[in-house]
Amino acid sequence: MLAVYDLWAFVAENWRELLDGLVNTLKVSLIAIAGSAVIGIVLGAARAYRVPVVSQLAAVYVEVIRNTPILVQIFMIFFALPQLGIRLDAFTVAWLAVMIWGGAFNTENFRAGFEAVPYRYREAGYALGFGGVATFLNVTLPIGGRIALPSSINTYISVVKNTSLMYVIGYPELTTTAINIANLTLETLEALTVLALVYLTLVWGLSAAIRLLERKLAIPEMR
Amino acid sequence: MSGAVLALFPDWSGPVVHYILEVGLPTTLRISAFAVLGATVIGILLGTLLTIEFWASKTAIRGYIEVFRGLPILVTVFLVYFGLPALSPELEFGPVPATILALILWGSAQVAEATRGAVGSIPREQHEAAAALGFGWVGRHVYVIVPQALRRLLPPLVSLLVNIIQNSTLAAVIGGIDLLQSAKAQTERLTFFPPAGIGEIHAVEIFGFVMLLFFVISFPLTRLAAYLERRLA
Repeated sequence: MLAVYDLWAFVAENWRELLDGLVNTLKVSLIAIAGSAVIGIVLGAARAYRVPVVSQLAAVYVEVIRNTPILVQIFMIFFALPQLGIRLDAFTVAWLAVMIWGGAFNTENFRAGFEAVPYRYREAGYALGFGGVATFLNVTLPIGGRIALPSSINTYISVVKNTSLMYVIGYPELTTTAINIANLTLETLEALTVLALVYLTLVWGLSAAIRLLERKLAIPEMR
Repeated sequence: MSGAVLALFPDWSGPVVHYILEVGLPTTLRISAFAVLGATVIGILLGTLLTIEFWASKTAIRGYIEVFRGLPILVTVFLVYFGLPALSPELEFGPVPATILALILWGSAQVAEATRGAVGSIPREQHEAAAALGFGWVGRHVYVIVPQALRRLLPPLVSLLVNIIQNSTLAAVIGGIDLLQSAKAQTERLTFFPPAGIGEIHAVEIFGFVMLLFFVISFPLTRLAAYLERRLA
């Protein structure tokens, strides 16, 4: 093996596959982020307002997901569900697993956000003649959602990072793609360099974008 | 009644549970113990050094923190397990030490960030009082500042413990026989025909058991972290 470290040659040779991998990572991440946002808002509201039954079920969901490793959850969905007759393809497992994981953390994020909205704001909503749902949509969600924004965005960044675990089910996202190329070409160091750089660019870029967004969405009186 | 209990614990479950508890669990606990210890020591050291206003050390430690907090832990595991041996053959680690090393890199970055905040929150008077007693920078931090900062560090350290226990399952990805990998091996064994297995699939029960084990370990610790957090606030 000619062990000459040549990053550019490696990228020039393999950029198509790597790009496909990155696209798959982004695809899975976007679906999971959107899904976990919906789960977080709905179940977070159910928790904050103590909606009977739903609130208790949501609490169990949150505790189970937060207190077990995501890798075990992925194994459960991919290797164990087929025993019950539920067979999902790798792509579905990929977004479903990180969505379920992110949704649990987001439920806590949004619950805390909604609970931080002072009761007098909601009273003001009712005084204006809004019903319960209208008050939630027009008062609690815009304010509590912004309070929950920083923590929920940290969850989304973790969701992106956790898509790398889909290596274990062979879904061809970025990590699987890079390791497969490394096994094929033996250019391990080049593959790992690209892998690390792309993830750092994604994560750092996302964090920087978020700080901008946070400033833009900050609640005026809390600025 | 006894029939129901027997149905709950079928014949195949005995050897499976034994293997998971006697081979998998100790490995998971060993990885977690070494990783938490290493991450705490290195993290507190780096976090304290980060409070020194000197650009070179600040840039280096900041870079370390941002890189290892930014990378997915699995990628760090691959960097250690595949990348280091490619750099030099002497840097070849088995799956368990490689996982420990990767978790230390990630965990120490987390602890360093928390330590910076905790050490920074100790009022300046404490530094001055310690300096007045004749302590140099090292003595001041070792005997006065860091011990006080530890109180504030306790909740994040308990959370770190939970995260490290859960992320120790990454060892399974590179072939370390931890809780998860031992469960996977037993699940596969049962699918073989006798004498090795019984030709049946019991993945739901076995992975469910692993989930339960992790839950029983993690749940009290997350409660403890939340309690410590509240008591501090």
